[in-house]
Amino acid sequence: MDKKLKETILNPILKGNPITVLVLGICSALAVTVQLKGAVVMALSVIAVTGLSSLVCSLLRNTIPNRVRIIVQLVVVAMMVILVDQILKAGEGTYAIDKQLSVYIGLIITNCIVMGRIEAFALGNKPIPSLLDGIANGLGYGLILVIVAFFRELLGSGTLFGFQVLPSGYIPNNLVILPPFALILLGCIIWVHRAFDKDLQEK
Amino acid sequence: MNTNSNVYTVIYTALIVVVVAALLAFVAAKLGPAQDANAKAETLRQMMSAAGVKPTEELYASKNAEILDLYADNIQEAYTIGLDGRKNGELSVSKDKIELVSKLKPQHKAILAEGDVTLPVYIFKSGISVIPIYGAGLWGPVWGYVAFQPDCHTIAGAFFDHESETPGLGAKIKDEPWFREKFIGKTVEWGDVPAFRLEKNAEAAGATNAVDAITGATMTSKGLNEALNIWFGAYEKHFGAGAFFNMLEEHAIDTTTNAEEE
Repeated sequence: MDKKLKETILNPILKGNPITVLVLGICSALAVTVQLKGAVVMALSVIAVTGLSSLVCSLLRNTIPNRVRIIVQLVVVAMMVILVDQILKAGEGTYAIDKQLSVYIGLIITNCIVMGRIEAFALGNKPIPSLLDGIANGLGYGLILVIVAFFRELLGSGTLFGFQVLPSGYIPNNLVILPPFALILLGCIIWVHRAFDKDLQEK
Repeated sequence: MNTNSNVYTVIYTALIVVVVAALLAFVAAKLGPAQDANAKAETLRQMMSAAGVKPTEELYASKNAEILDLYADNIQEAYTIGLDGRKNGELSVSKDKIELVSKLKPQHKAILAEGDVTLPVYIFKSGISVIPIYGAGLWGPVWGYVAFQPDCHTIAGAFFDHESETPGLGAKIKDEPWFREKFIGKTVEWGDVPAFRLEKNAEAAGATNAVDAITGATMTSKGLNEALNIWFGAYEKHFGAGAFFNMLEEHAIDTTTNAEEE
């Protein structure tokens, strides 16, 4: 694999993580991280939407009229989001999770990562790198989501993926369940990330 | 080609919107039946959980097809009633075409407006009858199913669900089995106002038609309490004293016809 492609894939996961470095997609990271299962499904949905939207927009990049490009991107992203939502609702196993995530699947359309990557990358690059860039950004987002959800489910419900992990005597911490705690956790993750990566530290 | 000309822009956007719309319409039509089947199985799971056909976890672990079979095997009859407490329709219970009144929102509106309603009553072979309830929680709708013992007075079980209540707080109405288990053995005092109370410290007073509200979920509890009472009110003439008067009235018609014959 050539170096540039490798960079395309690894950068969004680590050094250019959309949540911890670019601080995009924060709202859904706060909302759907109460339980791991929901966070994983949300992450997979976002990966599918960012990947496919970037691919389609990259294929269309030479034909899109410049003045209405945001609107065209929006149409493509909205289509992908509705597709994901419809498919989740139709699957026998995924129906319950879709119900649990409720509006947040639909709100992927407002996730800045999706439009941001199309504007910044897909419109200027070939389809395959664009697809990979979209997927990698979705992965970077999903990684943070899963980390936050891990701590919130563990401390807030004493379970992981719905299975009791902490002893039954543990009293679940209600603060952890509420959105503000996700923000605190996110802050801690950003702190740890910057402590390890000197390049990210501001002078 | 000049991709910035007005004509190109208009044609391009129109085309892309038409293509996307057609694709989505196609997908929605293709997946519609599968989605409806999921929604129907979900409703049946919740009803059978309330009726105590099987434990809730087992119902949620079962496949949709098994749920349809289980319902068909356990149901006695299902019909709809109006606000006067009289039957106004039958619901099919045969395995191949199970009919449910699954959209509760229009019925809720009709109850509030005292208009024409078709309120479902599902009677299981065990003699337990199940009715739905519907109302507004904190963030979105809350609904549920309440099952009555054959005396139509004692609650045999209940199941509650919600669209978007706060996880860990309002969502407890669904997530915590102890909440719905509290309803078992309680009563609904048909005709009383309120017929049932889901309020703070309600149990302490010793009334049988009361359950304590959930701490930290005041608005969800309030919404559920309102939903219960509005729907119990709508069913009062069918289950409560009204049912007796309906029966008397029908009986009276019989006696008059008899008198004429004499």
